[in-house]
Amino acid sequence: MRRDLAQKIWIYTAAIIVIGLVALYSASYQNLRVPQKIFYDQLLCALFGLIIMYFLGKVDYRKFYDVAYIFYALNIFLLIWVLAGGRHALGARRWIEIGGFSFQPSELTKLCLILVLGRYFSHRRHIILLDFIGKLQVIAREILIPLFLTGMLMLLIFKQPDLGTALLLLGMFWIILFASGLKYRYVFGFLGICLLAAPFGWHILKPYQKDRLLVFLNPNIDPLGAGYTIIQSKIAIGSGQIFGKGWLAGTQNQLNFLPERHTDFIFSVIGEEWGLGGALLLVWCYFQLINCGLTIAEQVKDKFGVLVTIGIVGILTLQVVINIGMVVGLFPIVGLTLPFVSYGRTSFLIFVIMMGFLLNLSKRRTIF
Amino acid sequence: MRLKIIRVVIAGLFLIVTLDLFYVQVIRGRYYFNLSRNNRIRVIPLEGWRGRIRDRNGKILVDNRLAYNLMITPQEIQDQEALFRFLSGVLNADREQIIRIYRKKKSAPFTPVAVAEDIPLAQAILIEENKYRFPSMFIQESFKRAYPLENNSAHVLGYVGKISRAQKERFQEYGYSPQSMIGYSGVEEYYDAYLRGEEGGLQVEVDSLGRQVRLLSLKEPTKGQDITLTVDSTLQEMALGLLEGKRGAIVVMDMNNGEILGMTSSPAFAPSFFVERVYQEQISRLFSDPAAPLMNRAIHGAFPPGSVFKVSLAVGALDTKKVAPEMIFNCQGFYALKNARFRCVHVHGAQNFIEAIAHSCNVYFYNVGLILGPETMSRYARIFGLGEPTHIDLPYEEAGLVPSPRHRLLARGTRWYSGDTLNFAIGQGDISATPLQLVRMMATVARDGVEVQPHVIKTIGHLPFNEYFFLRSIKIEKSIFQTVKKGLRAAVTDFSGTAHVLDLKDIEVAGKTGTAQTSASGDKKSHAWFVGYAKGEKKHVAVGIFLEHGGSSYNATLIARELLLGMQRENIL
Repeated sequence: MRRDLAQKIWIYTAAIIVIGLVALYSASYQNLRVPQKIFYDQLLCALFGLIIMYFLGKVDYRKFYDVAYIFYALNIFLLIWVLAGGRHALGARRWIEIGGFSFQPSELTKLCLILVLGRYFSHRRHIILLDFIGKLQVIAREILIPLFLTGMLMLLIFKQPDLGTALLLLGMFWIILFASGLKYRYVFGFLGICLLAAPFGWHILKPYQKDRLLVFLNPNIDPLGAGYTIIQSKIAIGSGQIFGKGWLAGTQNQLNFLPERHTDFIFSVIGEEWGLGGALLLVWCYFQLINCGLTIAEQVKDKFGVLVTIGIVGILTLQVVINIGMVVGLFPIVGLTLPFVSYGRTSFLIFVIMMGFLLNLSKRRTIF
Repeated sequence: MRLKIIRVVIAGLFLIVTLDLFYVQVIRGRYYFNLSRNNRIRVIPLEGWRGRIRDRNGKILVDNRLAYNLMITPQEIQDQEALFRFLSGVLNADREQIIRIYRKKKSAPFTPVAVAEDIPLAQAILIEENKYRFPSMFIQESFKRAYPLENNSAHVLGYVGKISRAQKERFQEYGYSPQSMIGYSGVEEYYDAYLRGEEGGLQVEVDSLGRQVRLLSLKEPTKGQDITLTVDSTLQEMALGLLEGKRGAIVVMDMNNGEILGMTSSPAFAPSFFVERVYQEQISRLFSDPAAPLMNRAIHGAFPPGSVFKVSLAVGALDTKKVAPEMIFNCQGFYALKNARFRCVHVHGAQNFIEAIAHSCNVYFYNVGLILGPETMSRYARIFGLGEPTHIDLPYEEAGLVPSPRHRLLARGTRWYSGDTLNFAIGQGDISATPLQLVRMMATVARDGVEVQPHVIKTIGHLPFNEYFFLRSIKIEKSIFQTVKKGLRAAVTDFSGTAHVLDLKDIEVAGKTGTAQTSASGDKKSHAWFVGYAKGEKKHVAVGIFLEHGGSSYNATLIARELLLGMQRENIL
């Protein structure tokens, strides 16, 4: 049983990685815009990542409990470094160069937030007073302090600017809050306040971010401008139909109609070339992987383990659903990657590390 | 418990994603598949070379010339400011103007915009030389119609223009594209299928920038066929000069085979107005001009024929044997019908049949008309092809109208009176005919009842086009025509004949004049007619001169005289 779960995680992770590599090969095939180099880059990354995953499976995840806050401080430092001296690309500062490698701290932040919130919420805090003061205490301890921890990261990422990741962090905060066992009235009360505050958030958006949201509502507003991406992506996926156009034969992909097709829009390459069959196979793999995570969460006995597992499952679900929803036009374009499939070393490694955690948790779930 | 909720929510989210993929890829799949195909395949039409048109002597009436268009590909513009500054310098045009044209025509970033059409060669060279500085611009070559003889034969030729929306729908299956040039009126329209080169096209696969990735197929445009017409440009030039400042038409037809040697309508228009961009304003003026310069009066206008109609009536009178050539009627200058007086131009006194034709005596023909009756008059008019188009190979021909009591009843619901019969007898009232119809009628009489088919086509490509060389015989005795012709000849040879000015040396002319009143009150001048035939050494032709509100028929006979003398001088007759 125990071995079974670990095996499943290995199989589905590997399957997703292989599908991703196949798609990436096609996206960069004989193309000047997307150099073939990125495929080999990712291939190397995958091999390296699987090794990391293997060793992480051996390390006791509770070691991370101890370093969570140090990790958090380091992350804040890296995010400030990005804003101060990061590399500019696509109108945003998201990368820093370390020894010839570029690195994206906002991806690291996802892992960091899971660990920090996991540690914070795993403390059992006794509330003595149940009157008004007590309630305020609950709100302060269970919501405001962790929200402040999250908010720091969000703010720094939003400044890059990277709205998608910033909002993703808020979503994860809420999921972990939900999983922490806090009373529903606080959990949903907080959600309600966030939704009410959303319209005010409109004003702090950058013009291109506003454009993207408007275009999501109606892609035909500006079919050759901001709406171009979403229209071309829908055409690509839809034109794949049931069986797809075949590997390396997707016209939308091969003729450069799809922008960002090796990163955020890699799923439309799969949809176009492999059709509904290929797309559903990938979705099914993700679903199975997430199910494994949930099974682990049910069996792990310590709260830190549960919360970290839920956090990992949460971020995986959010990114998969939002990314696919975005390329088929269900969500606005927010720039979230498809885990294991989109090109991006940092993102890839972070998800591999998360899988390493799951592997580790699957082995130690009956310890307490 | 909460884990269960999370599990359900996640399963729900994945279900939504799956259903949406199913919707986009299966239900809407075909739609997106077509979109992806249209995305990458573009067809660039290549215009064919339109056939040239020559006159009967091989002189070119319509030619093609190369035109240079300045195109700009919006996507490749690097420095818009500098580009437009450069262009305004080269084209000698206002920069704002150029930008305005560019903005108006711009559609997609990869579709080139024609910023200036038909620019001089020097400018085109200058632009090509500076292409390395502004890679977004290029020169596109296209063909334009050129008219070396300007408005000579304009109405026969017609003009060309961009295909209209209605025509596009009608002709789409014949390979016309929205950019196609198509003939409007005249030979350009009638023989469009031969003249137009088949449009070719490049089918290219493009990438997202609209840049060509590979050529999928190329269909070379084919050259249209050259056409030779039966018209003689020298004669046409002469006719144009004679009608200068007047409204009217001249038709000259070879009466042996129906070839139209000349067909000129005045005022004429210059077909080049429809080609050159600078004449845009003039085009709208052409359409609104009360003198209707676009109308070919020789076939598009049906007018009362006046006394010319008496020819048909005369043949009918003898053929029905109700009138003998020796029959004499006395002309007192009018015919009294009840209280009304129907006038004649002179007091002719006693007239026999031939004299009546020569003098165009109305009273004689009032009597003939009453003897025959309106139905018989209609029948003979129809035998000569009045009231229906001649089916000449030019579009939009008018049929004219041959009245009859039955027609009157059906069309207006009123009765036919004896007065109408009298009017009908002298070609007035409801009757109308085109100059071409009357010319053909005269040719039929001249050939003793053999009718030819008028046409303007001589050869298509290198092959002579003989389809129109057919004859139709009218079953009327030859002797009848000969008697009528005596009268027509007497009109010229008699000192008192109506067309005596046409009594020329070496040319045997015969014919009938006509002065058709156009309004009862007489506030507008009459139409002047001369329709006849002339036998020269080289050719036997039927001639028709029509002057709209030209006054007395004498004016028409003067023009006929000039024309025939001119033709003799130019060795046409």
